[in-house]
Amino acid sequence: MITIDGLTKIYGNRTALDHVSFEVPKGEIFGFVGPNGAGKTTTLRILAALLEPTSGRAFVDGADVTEHPDKVHERLGYMPDFFGVYDQLTASEYLDFYAACYRQPKARRKKVADDLLELVGLTDRRDQAVDTLSRGLKQRLCLARALVHDPAVLLLDEPASGLDPRARVEMREILKELQTMGKTIVISSHILPELTELCTMIGIIDQGRMRATGPVQDVIRQLTSGRRLRIAVLGQKEEAAALLKALPVIQEVVMVNGAIEAQYDGDDAAAAGILQALTAAGIKVSAFSQLEGGLEDAFMKATSEDV
Amino acid sequence: MNRIAIALWNPIVAKEYRSRMRTWRSPLAMTIYILLLGGLGWAIFSSTASAARNSFNGGQAANYGQALFLWLVLFQMVLLAFITPALTAGAVSSERERQTIDLLFVTKLPAFSILWGKLLASMSFVILLLLLSVPIFSLVFLFGGIELDQVLNAFLVTAVAALTLGIIGLACSTAFKRTLPATVSAYGAAFILLAGSLLFGVLFPTDIDPHATKAPAPPAITYLSPILPLVVIGTNGPINGYGVRNGGIYPMAQGGGMTCSSGPNGVQSCSNILVAPGKGMSLYNPPQPSGTTIPSGLFSGWQYWQATVTMQLVISLVALILSAVLLPPIRHLPWRRRAPVKVQQ
Repeated sequence: MITIDGLTKIYGNRTALDHVSFEVPKGEIFGFVGPNGAGKTTTLRILAALLEPTSGRAFVDGADVTEHPDKVHERLGYMPDFFGVYDQLTASEYLDFYAACYRQPKARRKKVADDLLELVGLTDRRDQAVDTLSRGLKQRLCLARALVHDPAVLLLDEPASGLDPRARVEMREILKELQTMGKTIVISSHILPELTELCTMIGIIDQGRMRATGPVQDVIRQLTSGRRLRIAVLGQKEEAAALLKALPVIQEVVMVNGAIEAQYDGDDAAAAGILQALTAAGIKVSAFSQLEGGLEDAFMKATSEDV
Repeated sequence: MNRIAIALWNPIVAKEYRSRMRTWRSPLAMTIYILLLGGLGWAIFSSTASAARNSFNGGQAANYGQALFLWLVLFQMVLLAFITPALTAGAVSSERERQTIDLLFVTKLPAFSILWGKLLASMSFVILLLLLSVPIFSLVFLFGGIELDQVLNAFLVTAVAALTLGIIGLACSTAFKRTLPATVSAYGAAFILLAGSLLFGVLFPTDIDPHATKAPAPPAITYLSPILPLVVIGTNGPINGYGVRNGGIYPMAQGGGMTCSSGPNGVQSCSNILVAPGKGMSLYNPPQPSGTTIPSGLFSGWQYWQATVTMQLVISLVALILSAVLLPPIRHLPWRRRAPVKVQQ
């Protein structure tokens, strides 16, 4: 659905993007992560046909973003990281205006606005002036705006930035809903645990270069040497730690907040073997879980050294 | 809707109407506009009415009507020259400043539609102001001396000048990222159009050709100013003593001078003696302009207002095309096709 091939963008003597390439198949949620200034927004703006690349090509649903920006705009919805709203317009008028800009028939626009306000949970705010909405509500409204023409692709640049935890959870739920509707979503974010839960694919960019891209677990496995377990035991912590260190699959054992965190090299069967070894030694295990910090580790590793 | 209707009417117009008319600024601007124009009309009306009370006849009333009309059209033009750039100079730059322009660019609206929508919305407000002034202008007909076609021509010149100023403001708004420099440059352009072009006629007037058979006319660039045709329409007479000079034929400096003679009743009358270069001394009286047409030059035979409207529409077209080229985030210009840049790895 999205193809980027050798995309390069140079501002003066600064290279913002350096031969970036990746693909996002239809129906995937692609998490685009990287430190500030890595090139995420530049990539998304090029994909939205708002910026001309210095070289390389990008396609959205087969349409070249430079040659056919009109076709690209038909097929994608874009939500920038920073955006403003108009004064003196209500939420429903705001959506109606953008639906009209997308040449939606007048008879259909009211239903579209109502449906989208319901999707993003703003039905009760339909007559409120958009400039008086909170940041979280504006973010939701902007997401609804990106959907007024029912695009196949969504480009969301930091949609959860500046939101409180509740608003983030609500935004995540909306995105999951969109995923079930078959949208292909590219989402840039700094909130890595949420991306792990939400995304099916991930791309890590740093200093304008793609460091890794692919299915989330593949990227984590590719960049980190092992997975992490969190193990809580009833007493016998020292014995448990010593036992774990003796196991060949274990790479590192540390105590964190009274629990044991163990990094191991292997799959789910290896994790089951570790649990079996502990219980066989008579250690009472009260909790045993995979840690979700794998993406953070992968991100740190990818952005701290040349891969 | 067919394609033309879609191009002419786009959602930006409706949105701008809503945004503009829901604030207190628009009614306030209209009120101040009417008060200023009406105040001037009332002041002139009062002064002429009191003068007419003493000695009134039909001829004088016509003169009062002309004077009132001339003042009103000139004042209205100056008012619109202040209002119109303010309406359009922030049209695009303010979208950039509040970060809404990208949201428009990713819609199906082409750049020209965005510009056209902004322009139509702004110009509608100007038209509204012009319509509001109609009752004030009707005062003129109480006195007479002004024909309906003069009023229509004056309104046409004023409307086209406002349109030109609006489009120039829009071009400035497109060219500059910030509203402040866009507004300053739009007002600068308005000043040049209204006053600068007139000043050109003072500084660089047309030299009188001693052999010309037609009366001299001011330089063509001076027709850019709407003031000139408005004066011609208002006075219903020719432009005298502006934009022409005795180029190279200076009576005192080059052997010319004045010739005076005394009449039988002792009244002395004088006239210039102009010397044509290389022709020796001879009496020369250049033809004087008459009527409201341009006597000579590029627009010879045209009405002043026709020349002004034509030149301003050309400028508007150029500014509009320039804006449409500058606005899109990705410009497809034939001369900007370039080979992909090789980036060192």
